[in-house]
Amino acid sequence: MASSSTPKYNSNSLESSGKRTLKDGTNWEQNEEIPRLPGETRVTDKDVIYMCPFNGPVKGRVYITNYRLYLRSVENDPVVVLNVPLGVISRIEKMGGASSRGENSYGLDITCKDMRNLRFALKQEGHSRRDIFEVLTKYAFPQSHNLLFFAFLNEEKFSENGWMVYNPMSEYRRQGLPNERWRVTFINEHYGLCDTYPALLVVPYNATDEDLKKVAAFRSRNRIPVLSWIHPETQAVIMRCSQPLVGMSGKRNKDDERYLDIIREANGQISKLTIYDARPNVNAVANKATGGGYEGEDAYPNAELFFLDIHNIHVMRESLKKLKDIVYPNVEESHWLSSLESTHWLEHIKLVLTGAIQVADKVSSGRSSVLVHCSDGWDRTAQLTSLAMLMLDSYYRTIEGFEVLVQKEWISFGHKFASRIGHGDKNHADADRSPIFLQFIDCVWQMSKQFPTAFEFNEQFLITILDHLYSCRFGTFLYNSESVREKEKVTEKTLSLWSLINSEKSKYTNPFYSKELNRALYPVASMRHLELWVSYYIRWNPRIRQQPNPVEQRYMELLALRDDYIRRLEELQITNNSKIPNSSASSTSPSQMMSQVQTHF
Amino acid sequence: MEFSELIKTATVENVLLSCAGLPAVRGTLCITSHHLLLSSCPGGDVELWLLIRNVDAVEKRLTGSSGTITLRCKDLKVLQLEIPGMEECLNIASSIEALSSVDSVMMMYPFFYRPPSLKLEEGWHQFPLEQYFQQISSQTSQWRLSTVNQDFSTCPTYPPAVIVPAAVGDEALRKAARFRQGGRFPVLSYFHPKNRTVMLRSSQPLTGPNRRRCREDETLLGTILDEGERGFIIDTRSAQAAKQARMTGGGTEPKSSYPQWRRLHRPLERGRPLQESFAKLVEACSDPSLSMDRWLGRLESSRWLSHVKAALSTACLAAQCMDREEATVLVHGAEGTDTTLLVTALAQVILDPSCRTLVGFQGLLEREWIQAGHPFHLRCAHSAYSHARLKQEAPLFLLFLDCVWQLSRQFPFSLEFGERLLLSLFDNAYASAYGTFLCNNEKERSLCKVKESTHSLWAWLNRPEEQQKLLNPLYSHNALVIWPSVEPQSIQLWQGLFLRWIRPSQHLDEAWAEIQRLVEENNTPAKESTGNRLSQSLSDHTAGMENRR
Repeated sequence: MASSSTPKYNSNSLESSGKRTLKDGTNWEQNEEIPRLPGETRVTDKDVIYMCPFNGPVKGRVYITNYRLYLRSVENDPVVVLNVPLGVISRIEKMGGASSRGENSYGLDITCKDMRNLRFALKQEGHSRRDIFEVLTKYAFPQSHNLLFFAFLNEEKFSENGWMVYNPMSEYRRQGLPNERWRVTFINEHYGLCDTYPALLVVPYNATDEDLKKVAAFRSRNRIPVLSWIHPETQAVIMRCSQPLVGMSGKRNKDDERYLDIIREANGQISKLTIYDARPNVNAVANKATGGGYEGEDAYPNAELFFLDIHNIHVMRESLKKLKDIVYPNVEESHWLSSLESTHWLEHIKLVLTGAIQVADKVSSGRSSVLVHCSDGWDRTAQLTSLAMLMLDSYYRTIEGFEVLVQKEWISFGHKFASRIGHGDKNHADADRSPIFLQFIDCVWQMSKQFPTAFEFNEQFLITILDHLYSCRFGTFLYNSESVREKEKVTEKTLSLWSLINSEKSKYTNPFYSKELNRALYPVASMRHLELWVSYYIRWNPRIRQQPNPVEQRYMELLALRDDYIRRLEELQITNNSKIPNSSASSTSPSQMMSQVQTHF
Repeated sequence: MEFSELIKTATVENVLLSCAGLPAVRGTLCITSHHLLLSSCPGGDVELWLLIRNVDAVEKRLTGSSGTITLRCKDLKVLQLEIPGMEECLNIASSIEALSSVDSVMMMYPFFYRPPSLKLEEGWHQFPLEQYFQQISSQTSQWRLSTVNQDFSTCPTYPPAVIVPAAVGDEALRKAARFRQGGRFPVLSYFHPKNRTVMLRSSQPLTGPNRRRCREDETLLGTILDEGERGFIIDTRSAQAAKQARMTGGGTEPKSSYPQWRRLHRPLERGRPLQESFAKLVEACSDPSLSMDRWLGRLESSRWLSHVKAALSTACLAAQCMDREEATVLVHGAEGTDTTLLVTALAQVILDPSCRTLVGFQGLLEREWIQAGHPFHLRCAHSAYSHARLKQEAPLFLLFLDCVWQLSRQFPFSLEFGERLLLSLFDNAYASAYGTFLCNNEKERSLCKVKESTHSLWAWLNRPEEQQKLLNPLYSHNALVIWPSVEPQSIQLWQGLFLRWIRPSQHLDEAWAEIQRLVEENNTPAKESTGNRLSQSLSDHTAGMENRR
């Protein structure tokens, strides 16, 4: 165990930060100074001083490509390495001026989206930072400079094609749809009904496409109630939509009212339809002023409305900002727990989880269909429906199932990834940015902590998803909606993140996973059982000991050993093949090798 | 005194027992001299078998003709009994109160417990100090085993045998003992085989307001260090508190009289503040109405985690002095029976792999806590719930177990035992069928004939079938020093203990069973080649590796 031999009891040295970057899966050509992906091109490099917040100034050389910022120290042992995809950069500032005094006071300050900041000091002569500032700004914010995302230049090859993972039709078929009560409609094929919805929608059999058009007029941004998931036994469904356009005058819409009744009756339900409005009550009321609102009792006598008290994107953004303040660069030591409490981050996580539990429980134990919405139905609604589905359907707890879930409930239903993350956009203070998807992944992590055997994927899987949420190396999270992605030909011109993951699944597999079908999982959403995800939020701090799951750690060691054996076998084969004519070394496919590995040892 | 005098009502029918997380059961409640039993129907299963000594607080609430008794146990479990009949309820409550507060050691259950599978003498002499001394004497001749305390007259809280510098005679030890509070003169606590440095422990010197000196004490500490060598005294009080102690006859080693020793003050909480911290934490954990919003604030204001952090940091300091500075260390606070032992014992777990095995850890507890005279009877008389006026209760031993748990979490491979052992030790320290944690020191144990008339907990735990449950399936010997991280985010609440009866543990137990299964599967063909095992355990995951080169 390497961790036991660290020199100081509170320090883990720089080793880990160096190692982590090498596991990135990028090709490392021995004769090159920096790792490069196919399609990645070098732009510039420069001598800088990296102002490491943990270990002080580090002299090094920084290389900038069209994909990443890469720094290697020149004097330190072990070598300090920074490997940062430019996509994570949210802001670049110049610090100090040509005349500012003090050591290392002149340079660049970079704020990142992944809970860290980077600071580089440069020599205070001849506008030394001008070119590097310009290059960084250009490639970190390609959208603001009429450049393509790196995803469109990426020429990586993977054995799996991640774009094949999600096919809406086969996912609905897996759920047993369409059936005699639910039909698939192509009304939105050209995104004419709703430009932020997917092309394929599932709606009640008894509602005609004409009905849907009328309902759309009464729902914010035409996001009508559509089916997300159906319970295989109770036939109760989870529906998602946006808020009704009630407004100050308390407008009503007969078609919407009837449509909700059709939904309620679809599973032969006599009791009321449950509507979960994700917002706090007051916010829902306040939305009336801007034309929105909620389903009132008078207009919807057959519905029961509950507010789930989850705050909006601005509150979440501020909360994460506070969290970053207390963990980066230095962890608030003296009042750690009360500082953590005052960020309210875990409180928000709790509310999201609690809401999802209520949705899941209503559908499963309450045998009642539910309708979930917030304001526009693309943030909190996506959190609630996807988490409830994760609790109810064990398929979504597999690696592929989870990919399908993200692809369906988030990407296809128009969670505005481009606006929330600000891909390639220089407006760091944009009020549309918010860590809604991060919050969802945090909730999934909390669940995986409470049910260590229920998920096929491990923590690394979740962290990898978050890393590439920002990296812009894959097309998966680019743009705000399916219609824009189609226009930009994302699936043709970029690679899917799932290609990377599915080509190397063992790396993301939870070794404890024991397949269990149809068990509903309800996490305990009490504060006492929620933890801060230290290995994500504080992962840059070398003083925080990484706590790899012991079995996983051993599993990784075994995988590394196996790779080593395969490599040696390959070498042996090459030497063998060179002796035996007629057998070409290059045609030995890896899968053939695998079977030989097994019989050989 | 007869137990029957304390039992006012022996049986009550139709009692409803409820307990968080379990379905309520109705049955016949029965009080015996040491147990509370509840069986659901005549001849049926026993639903409850509670050692009455385990009861920490009894609360009764009468409503009409029936009453509810809430039993808060020392292991932090909470039970509710609904009893029909007001008089029965009052009788039961007062019987439990009386039986649980019997103070006479020899009336306690261990003196009556006679399991057929164990022999009385088993386990009591498993860890003689002589054995530990032999290990040391095989490497150095600077230490000797002294029997100066054979009749407990030199120091009533020390065991009959202690390890002292070979150069110091028994007469000098007696004189040095008079200069230390409670007679606890400096003795060897730990010999670090890696670099032959030692850790000593004692109580505070009785310097007093007149700055008294004791030549024998000075020589004792002087002979340990060679010319020019430096030693560290780790005082577990603040400099201020240590200075103030002079007013009441105590004090510290002044630089002038102990020129080779450097004093480091690392204040550790003990006594009442620690007990209150424990009670606050448990209160926060078991408050059902607690809005989630306040949880972290209350966790912090209980200060329990800061005590854990402080204890670990101080133990690290002691370990660092020995392992890195290669210096001799003396640890003491005031009496030398609480925080002193916490630091010396913890430092050994950090430094020495042999203390991290199942049996080695038991030996450490025996040597550094039980025989070293930690007053278990006083400190563990009550747990976190008691309303009784606190006398000398303080959860130092629990704090130690918590620190060990933190180590086991940070070094999941390095401890041979799992959480279960720590939980079992906590339970037994507060209420037990075994004599191991009875009394305050070896002198009392000998007077009460504990070793002759009760069973040893070690005998029970070391039966192969019990051992199996306590072992950590992931253990692999780690010869290195395990330096824990003491950052606030690295110190976690020990949920397995503090939320044991509150959180559902089913899924975590399942995961644990899965680990055990995986490890066993992995180990069965242990003699076969690595490659074989690899392909066995990983054959499911061979797909998708193609593009790795």
